[in-house]
Amino acid sequence: MSVFIDKTTLVEVQGVTGKEGSFWTKHMVDLGTKVTFGVTPGKEGQSVEGVPVYHTVARGLREHKADAAMLFVPPRFTKDAVYEALDGGIRKIVTIADGIPLHEMIQIRQAAKSCGAMVIGGNTSGVISPGQAMMGFFPYWIERVYKPGRIGVMTRSGSLTNEVTAEVVKGGFGVSSLIGIGGDSVPLTRFAEMLPAFQADPDTDAVVIIGELGGSMEEEVAEAMEAKIFTKPLVAFIGGRTAPEGKRMGHAGAIATGGTGTVAGKHKALTRAGALVASKPSLVGPLLREALHIK
Amino acid sequence: MKLFEFQAKELFQAVGIPTPKGYVLESADDIGTAIEKTGLPCIVKAQVLTGGRGKAGLIRKADTRAQLESHVQDLFAPTRKIKRLLIEEAIDIDREIYLSLTVDPVKAKLIFLACAEGGVDIEELAAKHPEKIITRSVDIDQGLMDYQITNLLFDLGIVGDIAKQARSVISGLYKTFRAHDAELAEINPLFITKQGALVAGDGKFIIDDNSLTRQPKFQLAREYFDSCIEFEAATEGIPYLQFDGDIGLLCAGAGLTTTVYDLINDAGGKVANYLEFGGANYKRAMKAMELCLKNNLKVILVVTFGTIARADVMAQGLVEAIQALKPTVPIVPCIRGTNEEEATRILKEAGLEPLFDTEEAVLKAVAIAAGRSK
Repeated sequence: MSVFIDKTTLVEVQGVTGKEGSFWTKHMVDLGTKVTFGVTPGKEGQSVEGVPVYHTVARGLREHKADAAMLFVPPRFTKDAVYEALDGGIRKIVTIADGIPLHEMIQIRQAAKSCGAMVIGGNTSGVISPGQAMMGFFPYWIERVYKPGRIGVMTRSGSLTNEVTAEVVKGGFGVSSLIGIGGDSVPLTRFAEMLPAFQADPDTDAVVIIGELGGSMEEEVAEAMEAKIFTKPLVAFIGGRTAPEGKRMGHAGAIATGGTGTVAGKHKALTRAGALVASKPSLVGPLLREALHIK
Repeated sequence: MKLFEFQAKELFQAVGIPTPKGYVLESADDIGTAIEKTGLPCIVKAQVLTGGRGKAGLIRKADTRAQLESHVQDLFAPTRKIKRLLIEEAIDIDREIYLSLTVDPVKAKLIFLACAEGGVDIEELAAKHPEKIITRSVDIDQGLMDYQITNLLFDLGIVGDIAKQARSVISGLYKTFRAHDAELAEINPLFITKQGALVAGDGKFIIDDNSLTRQPKFQLAREYFDSCIEFEAATEGIPYLQFDGDIGLLCAGAGLTTTVYDLINDAGGKVANYLEFGGANYKRAMKAMELCLKNNLKVILVVTFGTIARADVMAQGLVEAIQALKPTVPIVPCIRGTNEEEATRILKEAGLEPLFDTEEAVLKAVAIAAGRSK
């Protein structure tokens, strides 16, 4: 088992014929992901790495099945693409788009909530269960990062994920599933909303969250731990501890204002809930060992 | 993008939210025109984007023309770098209210925040007296409903003749928020005058940066940035923040760059600039280096761990930037990710010493900046 995606998940890819879409579809297939079809309006009849292409999701679904949609679609077309997938009955969607307009993110998240769907992103690398399947773009061939194992990872960042996950592996562990929540101010799915899946996953022993300043997602994780919704060990690394208030540190969501969204507040909430918080990436491995009582 | 107060008020006026009679003064020569428009006494408000203007002495009252002239002369002093003053009529205030609209990322709704005591620091109030803050969520697809406005009004204690005006202020605020892709629209304070009229005393309006391409009225301009380099970087689409230390960051990935920033501070170093050329910018080491070199640096620290942003491409770009721009300070490269073996070869061939551990690279850069190492 794993979280969100495994080798049995049937994935359709929207924006499959684009430069990134075709390149990463090949890698998704190479890793073992079951890609059933792709979508690009006007390109029906073509194929990308053996994946048949259709004009629309509905036309693809006449011939194939899909449990999940992977969107390689620019930000301004993302809302339409998500709604198209939802309209096709697909309830797991990943969008990597960086720069989705704020009001559209609210609309997408609302639409997903109202039909019980889970949309992951935007501004993320996607989702990967190493050794099984991925939706998005991960350098899964870098073994010191994407080693299969029993630690779940959730992250608001891309490059920092490679950095921190390498420390998980260095600590003697591997990854069960990694969920890229993304760096936007309105993540379409939040950390705490993924926790029940990690809790239920028999192949996940503990979870690492890679957070940063801004917003309240880390505090919500602490609440879920205190409410016993999540009871497995949890280790957190949170970037932006020394960032000045009012400065947006790269990501749209990475800003602390008026005393809210500070790393100090997140650290306190998580520690109180029983999580271990690493002050630097290299402490994530040792803290995992401590949390799992491994000498 | 955070707008200036006078721009926020222009947006308010366009949807019928009353604002004080005002004049945007760009030169002391126009004081006469300003007085004609506002009368005396009047309020002089420096148009800057930083908060806490009242405490900083950037909002002043003038009872006479002489007083106004002296305030204007002082506020326009070249050292202050203030380009505009908003001159407004003084309002006879009976009560002040707080009203804002923002997004609630958890509920995926828009949310009105209101408080019967205006002029306050809302974040401070939320921390100390959360019960005083009135909230009302609005579904973005459904739009603002009458009953939601009614709830806000009764919760604020606004009844009688003024309720009709307040209704139009609330719906106006919603309308302009949606039309301009705002992340925040705030009226604080919203005055109730002794004559029983509502007037927006101040205006704060932030447009979502991801939506600027569809808001052609609002384009990047130098005045929205603290420094020339920040503005230049923004027009190039390269995330950049100005600090005042001596370690230049040339990193990739927002989260990783922020972490490097923390690690440098922890190690006792000082960052000159936050710059990341990851994502779509990974082939632009030259421009990134150019921006970086506008600072007075002791060392440049390059930390990346990219996927699409291939390590070999970034290393090659870095080497070409060094050859072209000939920085006189040492470079500490820690470039990892896709094709990192090739990246390592490229760096070594160029005489650089590649590192593979972020924390080690940070310590080395901090040591160089402190003069403990070369």
